[in-house]
Amino acid sequence: MSYKKDQQQEFRELANWVIDQTKQAGANDCKVSISKRRSVEINYRDRKPEVIKEATTQGLYLEVFINKRFAGKSTPDFRKSTLSGFISDLIENAKIMEEDPFRTLPDPKYYAGRSEKDLQLADPDFQQLTPENRHAMVKAVENACLEKGGDKVISVEAGESDDTYEDFVKTSNGFEGSSRGTYCNIGASMTLQDEGDRRPNGYHYITCRYRSDLPSLQEVGIEAANRTFDLMGGKKIATETLPVILENRGAARVLSGLLNPMSGGSIQQKRSFLADKKGQQFGSKLLTVQDDPFLPRGLGSKLYDDDGFPARKRDLILEGSLNEFLIDWYYSQKLGWEPTSGSISNLIIPPGTRSVDEIIKDLGRCILITGYIGGNSNSTTGDFSLGIIGKLYDKGQFVQNVAEMNIADNHLNFWNKLVEVGNDPWIYSQARFPSLVFDGIVVSGI
Amino acid sequence: MKPIPRRKFIRGTAMAGGALLLLPELKAGMWLTDQPSGNYFLKEFGIDETLCHKLLAKALSKGGDFADLYFEFTVSNYLGLEDGKVNQSYGDISLGVGIRTVKGDQIGYGYTQELTEESMLSAAATASTLCDMNATPVSDSFTRPKAGNYYPVAPDFNGIPAKAKLPLLQAMNQKCFALSTEIAKVNAGFSNSVKRVMIVTSDGIMAEDLIPSGYLYTSVVAERNGKREQSGWNLGGRRDFSYYTDAVLNEIADKAVNNTLKLFDAIQPPAGEIPVVLGPGVTGILLHEAIGHGMEADFNRKNISTYSSMLGKKVAEPFVTIVDDATNMNLAGSLNIDDEGIPGKRTVLVENGILTSYIHDRISAKHYGVEPTGNGRRQDFQNYPIPRMRNTYMLGGPATPEDVIKQAGNGIYVENVSNGQVKIGEGDFAFYVSQGRLIENGKLTSPIKDVNIMGNGPKMLANITMASNDLEMYHGGAGQCGKNGQGVPVSFGLPTCLVKSLTVGGTQQKGGQS
Repeated sequence: MSYKKDQQQEFRELANWVIDQTKQAGANDCKVSISKRRSVEINYRDRKPEVIKEATTQGLYLEVFINKRFAGKSTPDFRKSTLSGFISDLIENAKIMEEDPFRTLPDPKYYAGRSEKDLQLADPDFQQLTPENRHAMVKAVENACLEKGGDKVISVEAGESDDTYEDFVKTSNGFEGSSRGTYCNIGASMTLQDEGDRRPNGYHYITCRYRSDLPSLQEVGIEAANRTFDLMGGKKIATETLPVILENRGAARVLSGLLNPMSGGSIQQKRSFLADKKGQQFGSKLLTVQDDPFLPRGLGSKLYDDDGFPARKRDLILEGSLNEFLIDWYYSQKLGWEPTSGSISNLIIPPGTRSVDEIIKDLGRCILITGYIGGNSNSTTGDFSLGIIGKLYDKGQFVQNVAEMNIADNHLNFWNKLVEVGNDPWIYSQARFPSLVFDGIVVSGI
Repeated sequence: MKPIPRRKFIRGTAMAGGALLLLPELKAGMWLTDQPSGNYFLKEFGIDETLCHKLLAKALSKGGDFADLYFEFTVSNYLGLEDGKVNQSYGDISLGVGIRTVKGDQIGYGYTQELTEESMLSAAATASTLCDMNATPVSDSFTRPKAGNYYPVAPDFNGIPAKAKLPLLQAMNQKCFALSTEIAKVNAGFSNSVKRVMIVTSDGIMAEDLIPSGYLYTSVVAERNGKREQSGWNLGGRRDFSYYTDAVLNEIADKAVNNTLKLFDAIQPPAGEIPVVLGPGVTGILLHEAIGHGMEADFNRKNISTYSSMLGKKVAEPFVTIVDDATNMNLAGSLNIDDEGIPGKRTVLVENGILTSYIHDRISAKHYGVEPTGNGRRQDFQNYPIPRMRNTYMLGGPATPEDVIKQAGNGIYVENVSNGQVKIGEGDFAFYVSQGRLIENGKLTSPIKDVNIMGNGPKMLANITMASNDLEMYHGGAGQCGKNGQGVPVSFGLPTCLVKSLTVGGTQQKGGQS
C-alpha cells in the first residue's frame, strides 16, 4: 500500500462525519477509530513457493456513550449510506445496557502534552519492495538454512511478510491522533531427522520497522538451522534444583506474568497478586523494567495510548520495587485513582555487563532455557508453571539438550532469585530484554 | 455485478448487542438442498453462478489444479457483566471473499472485503500469480452437495432482541453470589455469532451453510482468610438461544463457584514422572493437542510430524479408538460442510490401536490418493483452509473409573486443563492443570492446582494402559484451536484414562525435597 497524500484527511473527514451523525442520533459522546492495512506474505518450502498471499483490509470501530451507557462495534464498510444504519443500531445497543457511572470518555485535560517526536515508524523505502525483491529475500534465507542444515534436513520453510498501515482516531471531546507505519518480517523454520521418529523443528524469524534494519539474510537462515540443531537429542533429566538462564528472546514469556496483575482491571476485579505491592520490594534489586514509547523504529513505539493519553517514559519496576501500575481511564474511575496509562509500549530491562557465554562458565551446572511450551501464570495467586526446552551446561561445557521439562514457582519468590542480567538485549521485539540468570530453580523432569 | 444492497446491509448490521434482530429470516439447512431458494449470497449480495465462474476463470487464468471462492458474512456480538451490571456491548461485522488457486501443494491467495466484481477480480488475479502456464478450465455447472444439519436452530432464533439476553447475565451473577458468601467478584459474558458461508470450486461444487456459535461464561473470585482464588466455567457450542435454560445457568454457576472454592485447599503435587489419570470430558484437550495435531495431514505430507511414518502401524493398545467427527449435534467443532465444500463426516483416526487415517484437506487427500475427510477449515475469508480437527474423542474402554484410579496407585487425577501446546515434529507437549486431585494408594485425596504436565504424544498414546466406559464430550463453546495463526472452534472428549507416566512440573521434588 503506498500512502495516499490525502489519506489522513480522508480519514479525518469520515471521522468528523461519523461523530456528527452519532451525536445527532443521541449519543453524548463517541470515539471513532479508522484503519487501513496492506499485507503481503510469501512462503517457500523446499525451494518452491508454497504460499503467495496479498490483500488490503480496512476497519472502522465506533464506541458510543449515552447517559453513562456504552457500546462498541466494528465494520469494514465505510460507505456513509450503510454507516448511518450502523450508527443508529449501535446507539440502540448502548441504550439497553445498564447504567455505569464510570463509562465515559476521559477528561480532556489528560489529552494535553503529547510529544511530536518523529518515531520513524514508517520505512520510506517500503514502496520499493517489489514481488521480485520478496522472492529473492526468501530464497536467500532458505538457501543459507539448507546449506547449514546439511544431510539431516527433512524440510525447510522460509518466509517473508510485510505490512503497511495507517490509523486514525478521534473523539467527540477533543482528541485526535494518527499514525502510519511499516513492518517487515523474515525467517525460516527447519525440520531435522533425529533419533527414531523425532523430527525437531526450530525456527528464527526477525521483525523490524525498516527493511534496512534486518540482519543479513544469510545470518537469519543460518540461525534458523542452528536453533534447530540445538533441539537434536533433547531429553529430560532428573528433577533438580539448579541455576537457569532465560534466553533474551524468550524472557518475556515469564515476565508477562507480572503485567496482567499490574493492570487496573485485575486490581479492581481482585484478580491481582500485586494489588497491595505498590512501592514494595518484591524482586531482586537487579530487576528494573522500563516502558519507553519513544524508541525510534521501536515495534511498540507510539505517541499516545488507547485512551488518548500522551505516551511517556516510565519505570514500571525499579530495582525490584513495584513503581507504577497500568491504570487506564475506566478503571482509574472505578478505583478512584489517577490514571497512569493502561497499555505498554516498548519494555526494557537495562542490560548487564557480561555475555551469556561468560556467565555460564561461572554457574557450574545450569540450564539455558531457549524455548517454552504450554503453561500458564495465575494472576490472582502469582503461581506459574511453564514447560521448557533448553541446553544443559556444566562449568561452561555443553552437556546435552533438554526437553519435556518444567519450571514452576510463585512470581513473588521467583524474581528474588534473579542474580544477574546479561548484556544482550533482544532488539527485534517490543520486549527488549537481555538474558536473565536465576539461582535455585526447581526444574522438573524424570 | 450488483453492489451490496444498501437496505440489506443495514439490516445485516442491525444486530443489537447480541440480538440477530433484523436479519432476514433464516431457516437452517434450506441452502443445503438443491433448491435455488438457498442462495443467500445471490439474494443478499448478487453473487450468481456467472460471476463465480468468471472469478474462478480469472484465478485459473495462468493454470493450476483447481481454484475456490470462499464468501463469508459474519456478525458477532458480546455482552459483558461486571460488578453486577451488564455494562459492555461489543460487536463486529466481517464480510468478504477469499480466492485460492492451488497447484500441487502450492497456494496463491487473495482476498477482499468489497464484493464488487472489480475488487474480486483483482483478488483472483493475485491468487493466479502462483502459476505461469495456460489457463485451466472451470466447470460449466455447479452442484450443491448433500449434507447433514448438525446444528439446527429455531426458525425465530434470529429474532431474539438483545434486551432479552441481559437477564441471562444478571441471573448468572445472582446465582454465583447466592452459592457462597465467599464470592467476591463475578464476571459473566455471553458471546454469539452467526456466520454465513458459500464455497464455490472450479470443479463444480457450490455449497452454503449457516453456522451459529455462542457461549455463556462465568468467572468468579473468592476470598477466604485473606487468600483469593479464581476459576470459571462456560457452556455453549453451535446452538441457538433456547439452549441457555435455567438448568444450564445453574450448571455453569455451580461449576464456576465450586471449582474456585476447592482451590483454597489445593496443594502442589510432587514433581517428576508419575502416573496420571485423565478425568472424563474437558481433559480430551490432551488428545486434541498431544495426539490429534500430529495426525493432521499437512504436517505428515511434509514429513515433519512424528506420525509421518506410522500410518497403518500400531500406535496404542487394542482398546484405543480415536475419532475426529463433524457430525456430533451442536458441538463447537461440528460442521455441515467444511470450508472446501466437503460434507461433514466422521473419521476414525486410530482403530483398535492402529493408525488408520490422517486428517485431510483437499491438498493432502490428493497427495495421499484418498478421499478428503472434510477437515479443510479456516478462521475466516482472510485465510486459506488447512487440515484442522473438529470434535476429537476417544471411545470408552472396558474398565470403570474406580478401576482406573485404583490401578494408578500413587499419582494425580486431572479434572481441568488449559493452555496446551505441542511440538509437532518431536511430539512433545505441555498442559496446565488448573484443577485436579492427588491419588494416594488408589484413592482420590487432596485437591491440586496450577501445575504443568508434560510428555510426548506418541509415548502417551502408547502408555494409555486403561480406559473406562464413561466417555464425556466437552460442551463448552469457548474452545478455540490455534494453528498457523488461525483460530477455529473445536470440541473434544475422553473417558477416564490411565497414562502410565507423565512428567508433572512443580516445586516439590519427589521424596519431600524442595
